[in-house]
Amino acid sequence: MTSDGQATQTSEGGVPFALPLSLLAALEGVLNRYIALDPEGARGFEPIYGRIICVEIEGLGARLTLIPGPDRVQVFGAYDATPDCLIRGTPLALARLGMAERKDQALSTGAVRIEGDTAIAQALSDAMAGLAVDWEEQLSRVLGDPIANQIGRGLRAAGEWGERTSQTLKANLKEYLEEEGRLLPSRAELDDFLQAVDHLRDDVERLAARVAQLARAAETGTGHGDAP
Amino acid sequence: MSERETTHFGYQQVPVEEKAGRVREVFDSVASRYDLMNDLMSLGIHRLWKRHAVALAGVRRGQRVLDLAAGTGDLAERFSGIVGSQGQVVMSDINAAMLSRGRERLTNLGRVGNLQYALANAERLPFVSEHFDCVTIGFGLRNVTHKEWAIQEMFRVLRPGGRALILEFSHPTSKAFSRVYDLYSFNVLPVLGRMVTNDAESYRYLAESIRMHPDQETLRGMMESAGFERCDYFNLTGGVVAIHRGYKL
Repeated sequence: MTSDGQATQTSEGGVPFALPLSLLAALEGVLNRYIALDPEGARGFEPIYGRIICVEIEGLGARLTLIPGPDRVQVFGAYDATPDCLIRGTPLALARLGMAERKDQALSTGAVRIEGDTAIAQALSDAMAGLAVDWEEQLSRVLGDPIANQIGRGLRAAGEWGERTSQTLKANLKEYLEEEGRLLPSRAELDDFLQAVDHLRDDVERLAARVAQLARAAETGTGHGDAP
Repeated sequence: MSERETTHFGYQQVPVEEKAGRVREVFDSVASRYDLMNDLMSLGIHRLWKRHAVALAGVRRGQRVLDLAAGTGDLAERFSGIVGSQGQVVMSDINAAMLSRGRERLTNLGRVGNLQYALANAERLPFVSEHFDCVTIGFGLRNVTHKEWAIQEMFRVLRPGGRALILEFSHPTSKAFSRVYDLYSFNVLPVLGRMVTNDAESYRYLAESIRMHPDQETLRGMMESAGFERCDYFNLTGGVVAIHRGYKL
């Protein structure tokens, strides 16, 4: 048998799409350079050293295999061994899972399925999420401490300003909609309304129960008309 | 008086007992700049070929791997990261200069613990039978005097269920591409060799030895003769390189 590309098989027999070797090599390089930026965080991969983690991208039929090790995370397309853990989903669902804070929600919808040892998928996800890159430190290696520090301060100040501005804007908008425009109820009004709805629902249920009781009594002719 | 048995050394015929020595001279000469030269010659593609070989090997955590003709240890380095501390990777080469270069490189990279080194002739491996889960030989088989002996030895040291991979230059599948490849091999390669290692002859040998190496189907037949089963091969870069794989079942 001969094959000019990668030998790729998908578990569901879809049309395989072999990721080019050069793309995989580039991906491996970028991923490991990113991990190397946080040597402490990189230790989060220790529990899954040597584990074969396969990500199957549905629709494309492409497979990506990750094997973390002490030196780097090796990235392959199809890897000719049964994976310890297979994560399968559409590109969008996988991206959502990657970004979601609560992974269990993404999994419970069934958009992403995990086969094999799910603890490995969790450990991989935790390790990736645990990477905290000190960009100011990285910048200082290129630009020197003073400039990197200045840029860092500037970015932090810009971030704080953005946060403050966004909060002020939110408060102003809320005030206009609730108080000035009277377009939306205030929190207290909304709570009163919801409480009133609850009371009304309870009253209606009680009334319905009483009517049902009266109806039963009328049918049997032994009604006393007593309240329940 | 009986005639001396000869074998090919590139396009030349040399006495069988001389080939190993002459191959050793070639690699002694290029060892110091072997990686650089490989990158230049293949435009870095040799790293992609090796990556593909590792993916096809499918080695798992805790397994034992023997990498023959390991050179500077590109394959062994990857295997070492996969098999982990419970596994074992033996890096072997017949050439002391290459092996020591590889050992130095991997030690400097911090790859220690599960890596061992063996100066050994692939035709007569100093290992017990049925010991390894995977045996690989990358760009080395064509330099072995008795290729069939080396393949038989690979089979012997494999455990049942184990697999052997032979990554080697092969024969382009397209005639047009083959002509371009010949032009490159016999004109560009020796010039590169002269510029980088000051040794055009070694690289002329490289080009010639590739042409003398069995083609894809012949090599597969050799593997089957040695006892391997489910043998297949994968052509890379239009057949410039082929990865042969066989299982000991």
